Amino acid sequence: MTNFMKITSLLVSAFALSSSPAFSAANDSSQSPAKKGATLAITGGKLLTVSHGTIENGVLLIVDGKITAVGAAGSVAVPKDATIVDAHGLTVYPGLIDPDTTLGLTEVGADAMSNDLSEPSDEIMPHMHVADAFHAETELIPVARLNGVTNAVVAPGTDDSVAGQDIFIQLAGRNRDAMILGRDVALALNYGADQRRRGGRGSAQFPSTRMGLITQLRQSLLDAQHYEADRNAAEKKSDKPAADKSAAAGAKAADKAADKASDKPFQRDLKLEALLPYLHGERPVVVGVYEAYDVESIMKVAQEFHLKVILNHVTRSQEILDEIAAWKVPVIVGPIYELPRANERYDAVYTLPAELQKRGVKIAISSGEAGGPGGAHTVRNLPYAAGFAVGYGLPYDEGLRAITLNVAEMFGFGDKLGSLDVGKTANIVLANGDPLDVRTDVKQVYIDGIAQPMVSRQTILRDEYSK
Amino acid sequence: MNLHLSSLRSTSGLLYLSALAAIPLCAQQASTSAPPTDLVLKNATVMTASHGTIEHGVVWVHAGKIAEVGATVNAPANAVVIDETGKWLTPGIIDPHSHSALSNDVNEATSPVTPSMMMIDAFDNRDKALYQALAGGVTTELLLHGSANMIGGQAVVIKNKFGLSRDAMLFPNAPRSIKFASGENPKRVYGSRNQLPSTRMGNFEVMRQSFEDAKVYMAGWDAYNAKVAKKDATAVAPKKDLKLEALADVLRGKLYVQIHCYRADEFLTEEAIAQEYGYKIRAFHHALEMYKVAGQIAPTGTGIATFTDWWGFKDEAWDAIPWNAVMSMRAGVKVALKSDSNDHIRRLNQEAGKMVHYGGATEDEAIRMVTLNAAWIIGVDDRVGSIDPGKDADLVIWNIDPLSTYARAEKVYIDGDLFFDSSAPGFGTPHFNGAMHSAGGDGSDDEDEDGE
Repeated sequence: MTNFMKITSLLVSAFALSSSPAFSAANDSSQSPAKKGATLAITGGKLLTVSHGTIENGVLLIVDGKITAVGAAGSVAVPKDATIVDAHGLTVYPGLIDPDTTLGLTEVGADAMSNDLSEPSDEIMPHMHVADAFHAETELIPVARLNGVTNAVVAPGTDDSVAGQDIFIQLAGRNRDAMILGRDVALALNYGADQRRRGGRGSAQFPSTRMGLITQLRQSLLDAQHYEADRNAAEKKSDKPAADKSAAAGAKAADKAADKASDKPFQRDLKLEALLPYLHGERPVVVGVYEAYDVESIMKVAQEFHLKVILNHVTRSQEILDEIAAWKVPVIVGPIYELPRANERYDAVYTLPAELQKRGVKIAISSGEAGGPGGAHTVRNLPYAAGFAVGYGLPYDEGLRAITLNVAEMFGFGDKLGSLDVGKTANIVLANGDPLDVRTDVKQVYIDGIAQPMVSRQTILRDEYSK
Repeated sequence: MNLHLSSLRSTSGLLYLSALAAIPLCAQQASTSAPPTDLVLKNATVMTASHGTIEHGVVWVHAGKIAEVGATVNAPANAVVIDETGKWLTPGIIDPHSHSALSNDVNEATSPVTPSMMMIDAFDNRDKALYQALAGGVTTELLLHGSANMIGGQAVVIKNKFGLSRDAMLFPNAPRSIKFASGENPKRVYGSRNQLPSTRMGNFEVMRQSFEDAKVYMAGWDAYNAKVAKKDATAVAPKKDLKLEALADVLRGKLYVQIHCYRADEFLTEEAIAQEYGYKIRAFHHALEMYKVAGQIAPTGTGIATFTDWWGFKDEAWDAIPWNAVMSMRAGVKVALKSDSNDHIRRLNQEAGKMVHYGGATEDEAIRMVTLNAAWIIGVDDRVGSIDPGKDADLVIWNIDPLSTYARAEKVYIDGDLFFDSSAPGFGTPHFNGAMHSAGGDGSDDEDEDGE
């Protein structure tokens, strides 16, 4: 409590200094929005467009939070009344997007009450919606934003084989509704040794082995298909009140019809229903898996049910990279900091992004540290993970793309985010150098075309104790 | 994950044993010729860590020591000369806080005071973590007891000569260090068993009581020694007690005290207790809130070995800020960066690079935090940590500026001998081609319940 009061008082003094009246919640960092129709022009910077190369001495125009022009100086007409941001000497690039985080689901790692990561009562939990737990006011978001991360996927913890449904967020906004750009954008699956958690091998409870986990998953997907058939049949019945015992319905439907006859409504099963969009291939399933043999096992199931797969991790699958490429699935590769096993070469994981990209795989890179769930406190280090991959052979442009456009495309935001292109959301970062280098300082972050105050709980502490 | 790792561990252990049975021991090590008596590395950008950076610099190594460094050197004509044009050359990276290669025996968490535990007894010189650190340019490590206990065990200092025997990897005549801890870890470990200490009040009282016991023990020995000096035939030697003897050595100033400590108030309490009992604290480790009291701690001469940007993993890391290291340095505190992690130890050079970003350290100041200042924490800064004549030739060749994200260690020399060469086939370890072990875990002392 003392801590809280202390920080609150620090915050108050910071707010007083910031001359911005808009601070009412931790992440409502939007300054008074620009006047409707006003133009913001970022001029003179080196533009890393991601989609169409680098423009030295570029001009970027922003109106109502959208990019309206991108080009070299002279090729873009800057309106007379535009507000000019001089970016000479700065690098200008699209806001970074982290494909695997737990932002808003955790505050202090060791403090259980500040964590909403995993629901441990069952392995199959597709009806857990990250949107229901996302804490928009988390102190972690401004910290990540300061290093140029403007969007992220938030996924549950990794204890369950079907952990729940992800959200896609923007790292600024007045409240949860303003920050969640997409609800239930993907289903988080995990497969490996970690999910046999009920005592693991030798436990009296099912599932205690990989066989158990896979069988349980397959059965759940079958149950969902069966459920859908039942539901459809029930809907049909409710359309035609007279009992129709003809062809397609079958015995189960007959039971349902009997229920209907007694006016008992069809009972929804939220768990099974949650799986349906993914069984229809409408949205991606993000499969967290490390070992080659586990990748092969879980892909068998995914293919059997025609799931739209994004692989996550694959850090111990070096021997099946060609096979992964042949599946034509995108891969969130890493953490690049995952430790190689004994008797592997030291760079066995460092070189993975380059090796996958070389094989034509669309890759994304996340900020997670070795062994854990998606990044939270580490999200600010996202660009360095991509830089590390570049250090070990990934072409530079692909490194930047793996934390911007590729992520946007994997999660259905490719038309809105991830590059400096006309029509896209103006999530833009200005830095004093190469965005992937640890020495680079981010000078300004724009989200929806609005300059974000470069303030976090940490800068407030820094400034307070620098006096 | 733990289950999985331990199963890996036993597998590789078996592999190792069977390999041992099949092949004579000497075959475990790659055959290698002796290093040249005189070695000259020329045309590199030399970051000396002590006296700036020399463009197109030359380093002459003679018999494992640095003989000369500068724009030119006076090496003998028969010296082996390697042209390192375009490369960068630094002193070996030094990690003043590691729990690598300790067979997962990091904490003797059965009592809050265990000063007679010797980390050397758990040292596994074939742990893969050593190799992975070597490939990141790490040449010296302080292997510390964990943070479960207020007073833990005595550290071992190693040179990362991966592939040599256990004894050959020990840093010769390095000062002895002992690990203390404070804050959440001891109170969690013992509090969860309903034992003392369960609070910070308990933590510090356990320490004070330990030193009271040590004082009585020392007095007994002093009286005995006085009698012996006077040739008093009635002198009876007190019982030797390893625990009290170690604590007495703290009070006698024979051990460097390395304290795991996060919070500003705890630095002040630790300094007050040290003053009360008459010992010096060499360094606070983690020290995430040092920026709050750096001006007050600087005059004590205590240094810090800190993380760059880890935060929020527990309550006492909630006020961590990435500007801590540079702010503390500017206030006059000797600052080193450390890993406390089998992961971060592989890229301490980049952690140093972050200090340019967070607080505007110069490249010189940044590289010093993972070389010379880290050597000072361990007490070996007169022997390693910078490129100066007379120092051990522990050197790293980098593809580019080591503070960059894209830096890779290409060659690592220790005592003038090549221990890592990324261009070599296989592991790239001229002195090792056997089977590595894995202790499992991530090598942190904050891992899991018992601060594993």
